[in-house]
Amino acid sequence: MSRTDHVLVVEDNDDDFETVVEAVRRAGIGNQLRRAVSGADCIEMLLECQKNSSTLPALVLLDLNTPSVDGRDALLHLRQNSALHMIPLVVLTASANPRDIATAYGNGANAYHIKPVNHATHLEILQTIFTYWMNHAELPTHRSLTK
Amino acid sequence: MTTAARDDATPLPWADGVYSIKRHGTSLTNCDTEPVQAPGCIQSHGALVTARLSDLTILQVSENSAQYFGVAPDRLLGQPLLGLLSSEHEQRVRSMIANDAIEGNALFAFTVPARADIAPLDVCVHTMSGVLILEFESSGRGAASPKHPAGDFFSAVREAVGRMQSTVGQRAFCHRIADEVRGITGLDRVMVYRFHEDNHGEVVAESKLAELAPWLGLHYPEADIPKPARDIYQRIWIRPVPNARGPLIEMMPLANPDTGKPLSMTYCSLRGASVMYTEYLANMGVGASLTMPILMDGELWGLIACHHRTPTTFPHAMRAACELLAQVASLQLKSSDRIEELAYGLKVEQIHRQLVAKAAKEGDLLALSDRQPSLLDAMDAEGAALYHMDRWWTAGNTPSEEQLDALADWVNLRPEFLSLTRPVFVTDMLSRDYPAGAEISAVASGVIAVQVSRLRRDLIMWFRPETIQTVSWAGHPDDKPLVPGPNGMRLTPRRSFELFVESVRNRALPWMAMEIDAALRLRLLIMDLAMSEGERIIALNVDLASSNEELDAFAYVASHDLKEPLRGIHRYAHQMVESADTSSAENRQRLDSLMRLTLRMDSLLDSLLHYSRVGRTNLEFEPVDLNDVVADALEMVGVRADNTNITVSFERPLPTVLCDMVRVREIFSNLISNALKYNRDPHPRVELGYIRPDELRLRPNLPTEAEGETIYFVRDNGIGIEARHFEQIFRMFKRLHGRDEFGGGVGAGLTVVKKVVSRHGGHVWLDSTLDFGSTFYFTLPSQAHASRIRE
Repeated sequence: MSRTDHVLVVEDNDDDFETVVEAVRRAGIGNQLRRAVSGADCIEMLLECQKNSSTLPALVLLDLNTPSVDGRDALLHLRQNSALHMIPLVVLTASANPRDIATAYGNGANAYHIKPVNHATHLEILQTIFTYWMNHAELPTHRSLTK
Repeated sequence: MTTAARDDATPLPWADGVYSIKRHGTSLTNCDTEPVQAPGCIQSHGALVTARLSDLTILQVSENSAQYFGVAPDRLLGQPLLGLLSSEHEQRVRSMIANDAIEGNALFAFTVPARADIAPLDVCVHTMSGVLILEFESSGRGAASPKHPAGDFFSAVREAVGRMQSTVGQRAFCHRIADEVRGITGLDRVMVYRFHEDNHGEVVAESKLAELAPWLGLHYPEADIPKPARDIYQRIWIRPVPNARGPLIEMMPLANPDTGKPLSMTYCSLRGASVMYTEYLANMGVGASLTMPILMDGELWGLIACHHRTPTTFPHAMRAACELLAQVASLQLKSSDRIEELAYGLKVEQIHRQLVAKAAKEGDLLALSDRQPSLLDAMDAEGAALYHMDRWWTAGNTPSEEQLDALADWVNLRPEFLSLTRPVFVTDMLSRDYPAGAEISAVASGVIAVQVSRLRRDLIMWFRPETIQTVSWAGHPDDKPLVPGPNGMRLTPRRSFELFVESVRNRALPWMAMEIDAALRLRLLIMDLAMSEGERIIALNVDLASSNEELDAFAYVASHDLKEPLRGIHRYAHQMVESADTSSAENRQRLDSLMRLTLRMDSLLDSLLHYSRVGRTNLEFEPVDLNDVVADALEMVGVRADNTNITVSFERPLPTVLCDMVRVREIFSNLISNALKYNRDPHPRVELGYIRPDELRLRPNLPTEAEGETIYFVRDNGIGIEARHFEQIFRMFKRLHGRDEFGGGVGAGLTVVKKVVSRHGGHVWLDSTLDFGSTFYFTLPSQAHASRIRE
C-alpha cells in the first residue's frame, strides 16, 4: 500500500496529458506519472510490470477514445486478468454517451468522469480524483496479487 | 331385412305370415320396408328346391316345378332329394356339402341334361343356415346367347382385364369397364353408376347401342335404388334379372316347415325381383337387367348396370365372367380413385400455394382475390368470397354483399371456429342451420368457411349451389314423358324425382373430405403469412431500433468530436489568462470572451444532443401523478418552499395521467423556469392548472386538433410575448432577447417542450399579453392515444 506507487494515465492527447500533469502538481500528491498512449500500450505496460514483478500502478486513469485497442477493450482485458483486475480504474473521457457510462461501470470501472470543455472545471475534476484516490481511498496491496 | 326387424306403428301387410312379393309386393309404398332378401318368390326362368341339410329331405319347391321337372310340388315335398336328382348328381351335391365352401356362396354343380321338351338345366348349389338350396336354370345353350354362343368367357375376361389394367384415370377407367362388360355380355346398354355421398346416383360411364338415348351424366335420386337393394350389393357380386316382364313364382310352402321362417334368398340368382324394380325397368323400356356392384373398402361405390331391351338369358359362365370383371373393377378403381383424388388434391394445393406465395410477395392477402389463378380454379365450387380490409372480394356466383355480410356475422359465431384442430364451418345445406340460407340456396347451399385472421375477422368462403341447379336429373318431367306403371302412378321415375326434389331442395353436392382439408390448409398457409408479416414488422422494428442506436451513437460521437477542439481552445485561453504575460486588460477581456464563447458552444452542443435524444428514445408510459412531477420540477429549477418572493399556486390538485414521467417533468421544469426567468415583476407568480374537456371554460387559441382533450397550463405574470412571436419561440435556439438578458440560455427549452408534448401525441400553444404575462397550454392525450403513438 505504498503511496509512492505510480499512476498510469492512458491518454493519447498531449494537451490533455499536460492537464493531468498540472492537476497532479496542484493536488500535491507524490506519485510518479506514467503514460500510455493507447489501450494496447496500457495492457503491455501492465503485463510488463507483472512479468518483472515490479510494482503495479496505484491507479489507472483511462481515456476511452484512444487509437487501436481503445480504452473500452483495455478495461475489459484488464478486468479479466486475475492479476490486474483489482487495480483501481477511473475513466476520464469526452464521451457523454450513457451506453459508454453503463458499459464502463458494468465492466468494473471504479468511476466515470466526463472531460468538460471548461478548463478550470477539468482541472478541478482531476484534482478531486487524485486527492480522493491517493489520499483518502484504501487501495489493495499489490504484493498479494502478484504471488 | 325381415318383417320381425320392424316395429312400425301400422303392421305390415304380411305381418301375420310370411312375405311374398306376389301377394304383398304391389301394396308397398315405401321401398325401404321391402324384405328384398326374402321375397318368397323366384323369377320364372328357373326352379328352386330347398332340402334339409341333415338328411337331404326336400322342404320347399317353387310352384313351377312341373314346368322344369315334370313333377308338381306336392309330389316332391317331404321326399328325399334323390327322387329329383340322379344318384350321381346327388353324390356330387353331398360331396360339395362336405368339401366346398358353399355356405352363402352358390357354386355351379352340374348340368341336368335335356329331357323331352325341357332344356338342359344348370344347377347351382349353396347352403344357408342349415338349408340346402338348389337353383335350376336353363343353361341358355339352347337359346341364343347374345354375344358369346361358344361361351369362351375365360379368354374374353383375360383380355378385358388386361385392357382395364392399362387404363389411366377414373373416368376413362369407368368407360373401359362399361365397354368391357358390354363386350362380354352383348347387352344393349351398360352403365357405370356412381353413388354420391348423399346416396343419389350418377351415370359416370356408358356403353350402348347407338340408337339408344344417352343417359351419361344423368343423376338418379336415392329412392331409385333404395337402401335394402343397396345393402344386398355388399353381399353379392351379381344380380341377374333376365326377364323383367316374367311372372313371379312363389315358393311352396312359403315358410320353411322346420323353422316357420321365410327362405333367405340373398345368394340366390333366381331371387324374385321387387315389383317396384321390374315396373321401373318396364317404365324405362328394359326387358332384362344384369347388375354388379363396385365396392371400395367394403362400401358400395357404385354399380355396373346392364340393360337389354328384350328378355334374354344370362348363362352361368357369362355371369361368372361379369362377377370377375366387377371384382377386378372394384380393386382397380380403388387405386384409380385414390389417384384421382390425389390429383385433385394436388391441383388444389398447388393453386392455393401459388396464391399464398403471391400474397406473400405482395405482402397482402388481396392476391387471393386475383383472377389468374383464382380461388375458384382450385376448389370445385361455383363461387368464392374473401373478406379482407373491411370489404368483400368475390369470384364466380356468390350471394350479394349484404347477404355475405349477414352470413359472415352468423358464421363468425359458429362454435366450429373454436376448434383447435379443425376450425372450419362446412355444410351442404346452409338453410338447415341458418334460416336466411333459404334465400341464397340458389348460389350458396353448400358452404365451406375458414377464418384467416383472428383479429380482423377475415374470412374465406366457398359456395356450391343447390344440387337441383347443377345436375341433370333422370326422370325430370321436362326430359321424359310420363309413363304410368301397371299399378298406376305409384312408382315411376317421375314420382321418385318429385320425392327427391323435396329431399334435395336447398342442398348442394356434399364437400369431399379432401376439399375441407384443403380449405384448412389454405387457412394455415395464410395464418403463417400473417404471422410472417408480424415477424417482418418485428424485424423492421429491430432495424429501426438499431438505426436509432446508430444515430444516437453518431450524435454522441459528433458532439464528442466537436467538443474536443473546444476544450483545447478553452484550455489555451485559460492558460493565457493565468500566465503572467497577459498584461493588457483589453487582451484579458478578449480571452475571457473567447472562453465564454467556447462554453456557450458547449451548451449549444449539449442542447442539440439532448433534443435529438428526446425525439428518438422510447417513451416509458406509466400512470404519473402530475403533482409529484411538478414538485420535482420546482426543485430542479431551484424554487424552494421557503422562497417567499416567488409564488407557485395550484388551482386544484393536478390529475394522474399516463405519460413518460421524466419527459413530462422536463415540460414543467422548462415552462416554470421560463415563467420565472422572463419575469421582471418583484413578486413572480406561477399558476398551474388544468381544464377537463367537459368543463365550460375559456380555451384561448385552442388548436382544433387538441379539442376534446384535457388541457394543462402554466401561467405567469412575466414579460409576455407578442402574438407575432408565438410560432417562432418554439424554434431551436430561437431567442427573443439578448444573449445575456434574462439569465442567458441557449433557447432550446421550448423546442424540447414541443418535442416531448408531440411525442405524447399532444399539442402545445400559448396565450400572452405583452407586459402582463403568458399562459402556456399543452395536452397529453389519453391512454389509447398514447399507446398508439408509442407503436
